[in-house]
Amino acid sequence: MSDDLNIKKSSKIKTKSSSVSGGGTDIDYVRPAEIPEQDLYHGHSFITKWIFCQDAKVIGIQYTLTAVFTGVVGLILSWMMRMQLGFPELFPFLTAESYYQFVTMHGMIMVVYLLTALFLGGFGNYLIPLMVGARDMVFPYVNMLSYWMFFVAVVVLMASFFVPGGPTGSGWTLYPPQAILEGTPGSEYGILLMLISLSLFVIGFTMGGLNYVITILQARTRGMTLMRMPLTIWGIFTATVLALLAFPALLVSSIMMTLDKVLGTSFFMPTIIKAGELLSYDGGSPILFQHLFWFFGHPEVYIVALPAFGIVSDLISVHSRKNIFGYRMMVWAIVIIGALSFFVWAHHMYVSGMTPWFGFFFATTTLIIAVPTALKVYNWILTLWRGNIRLNTVMLFCLGFILTFVNGGITGIFLGNVVVDVPLSDTYFVIAHFHMVMGIAPLMVIFGAIYHWFPLITGRFLDEKLGKWHFWTTFLGAYSIYFPMHYLGFIGVPRRYFEMYDSPYVTSAVGMNEFISIAAFIVGAAQFIFFFNVVKSLRLGKRAEKNPWKANSLEWLTPSMPPEHGNFGEKLPVVHRWAYDYNVPGAKKDYITQTTPPSEVLGAEVEKT
Amino acid sequence: MSSFIKKLFGTLVEKPWEDSQAKIDDIHQGKTFKGLSPQVSAVIVIFGVSTVLFSLVVTGYLYTIPGDQDTMFLLRPNLLWFNTFVLFSVAYVFRKITKDLLNNDISNIKKNLILVGGLSYLFLFGQIFFWFQLIESGKVVSTNSYFTSFYFFTALHGLHLLGGLLFWGKTCSKILKLENKEILKEKKNVEALSLYWTFLLVIWLVFFLIIYVFNDAFIAWCKSLIS
Repeated sequence: MSDDLNIKKSSKIKTKSSSVSGGGTDIDYVRPAEIPEQDLYHGHSFITKWIFCQDAKVIGIQYTLTAVFTGVVGLILSWMMRMQLGFPELFPFLTAESYYQFVTMHGMIMVVYLLTALFLGGFGNYLIPLMVGARDMVFPYVNMLSYWMFFVAVVVLMASFFVPGGPTGSGWTLYPPQAILEGTPGSEYGILLMLISLSLFVIGFTMGGLNYVITILQARTRGMTLMRMPLTIWGIFTATVLALLAFPALLVSSIMMTLDKVLGTSFFMPTIIKAGELLSYDGGSPILFQHLFWFFGHPEVYIVALPAFGIVSDLISVHSRKNIFGYRMMVWAIVIIGALSFFVWAHHMYVSGMTPWFGFFFATTTLIIAVPTALKVYNWILTLWRGNIRLNTVMLFCLGFILTFVNGGITGIFLGNVVVDVPLSDTYFVIAHFHMVMGIAPLMVIFGAIYHWFPLITGRFLDEKLGKWHFWTTFLGAYSIYFPMHYLGFIGVPRRYFEMYDSPYVTSAVGMNEFISIAAFIVGAAQFIFFFNVVKSLRLGKRAEKNPWKANSLEWLTPSMPPEHGNFGEKLPVVHRWAYDYNVPGAKKDYITQTTPPSEVLGAEVEKT
Repeated sequence: MSSFIKKLFGTLVEKPWEDSQAKIDDIHQGKTFKGLSPQVSAVIVIFGVSTVLFSLVVTGYLYTIPGDQDTMFLLRPNLLWFNTFVLFSVAYVFRKITKDLLNNDISNIKKNLILVGGLSYLFLFGQIFFWFQLIESGKVVSTNSYFTSFYFFTALHGLHLLGGLLFWGKTCSKILKLENKEILKEKKNVEALSLYWTFLLVIWLVFFLIIYVFNDAFIAWCKSLIS
């Protein structure tokens, strides 16, 4: 319950916060600090400093590196899949079994172990304490445990590649009864390891999520009201609340399916006759699993999307030198999208069978969610409108995000309608939709965010030229992959097929499949430009001065860059404004940091928004 | 609750860029809920997450209620009543501890804290003993969905209790080493533990009533809703 127990007395440090703000005049008055300073454990050895470390920034980097590792595995798996789809039977080791295993592992890795871990574990850990003006998370020890639990979850997941029968091949949704019955690849050990890994992930995430929520609500610095927080923090906060409420469904369904497999219970298993033999299962409901899975699965989309929304809002504002258009509406939209995301899950189950009234209800809620989402898109565009846009790599990725997100969002409106979804369900149209909206769009934000915050983390810029190559190849390449897939869906090419054989789809789809596969190989390879850029820039990149983008939020205002453990040196910052004062009329500079007291910008007056 | 909703919506309509709002915001201390310690906040978050978890288990039970439940064994007066009484006692002793802390009366804190742990372990052993009784009578986890849900829920509840006992152990060992007058320093940890045990009691009571005390009536009511 308390991390105090883990603090070694000898290594305690006490830091003092300022009792009054720096300005000294009445208009700069801030109330003296009432919340006691946090005691931090400072590691001294390599192990306590870099491995079992309690500093949220190091934990954030650990999360990022582990998530990126899983992402590379997911990428390689997607190459294998595209190899088979574009050039069937070229490689004998690509069997139907291995294809399904690759599909399953690719999906689960990308959604849970890459995107969720990277946005919440990576960016969340690095940015939350810095952006809200805290020295660290409220429970650093629990935070460290959270990462190591994630690490073990990844190890267990990867171990499934090496067990007899290989990883599970039941599709990333792991639908029972087939997931645990003979005939599905990995139905012995692979599925068990997947379920155990997911359970560990959820337990680990809950430890982290506890920290994120309480740090944001209860450990902000003076003057940092909720409505002065950058939208990045709003996005991460709301996504964490969603995850804390949605992940239990994944945990429950994982444990239940494990029990069905190991102890012969029948949560999800109906009466089944296999090869003339009656199995011991009786009375379970496979549909119950679908409900539980999608009760987690749909909020999961927003667990990934909301941090992306928040981050991209901040990046657009900083790099177009304009305050974010409609800050309050952006916050409302994040909260409303988060709340609505719990009432739409069954739109993934239109073809599973439900009363028409259910379909009507879930279609309606799905379409309603488009309203706050569209509002956000308008606000991003209106922020750019007449802004002093810097067309650097960060901005390019932001613009790429808006385009891919709008594209994927619109196809989502198609699929949200029952009558449109039924014929398109299980076709490549669905693949195109969700890769656009929750694959490429969030990745665009991740890359934009890394190009933006790399100087803060390392003190050096990433190479702009390589960055632009990386962007254009990824952006155009991603469109080359997923745009044709919409067409494939329209002509009825089914998803999850290992090979089309002599079906009518082959004639019109074969050329297109080859094209998509070649584009996928190129886009995948282009990511190594990025890795090269990171490695090169770590040593040879242009040195960044303090606050190189002239941003306003607190993470750029630390005494040292990269920030040290404890983040803010002797005194915690005191916040006097929101994070979006760019090009304020009357101000001398085109940005006013959050810590600038009113007395220093007397003539400045923020425009109404 | 109403003040919380008021606060939430009041917060969301603030205009942080306006001068009048800035004056109010500048004196903000940085905490959203002033009276809450991080420890109690953590218990509240865990409360939320675990409530979803247990609700989903109960939903699963209701979704798969078998047509012919063999609940005769459970319906005999048995150990479950005693276990429930033990859990009630833990909550009562915890309440006594927090009351004493509030009144700065620290004479019985150490003794009562040990009693809390002892009773909690007694509850756990009682639950495990009940499992053995069930297994002996041939009602195992795979017998039917009623027993599956029963084992699953009690296991999850027990794991939550074990987690609580871990933190109880840490706090207790710390307090036992302290002089009586220093015990008040650990007030926040004890408050958080007390809240956690209240949560465990509430969850158990809901489950106990649904699956045991009013089992048949509850199922009949659920079926009437569906029909």
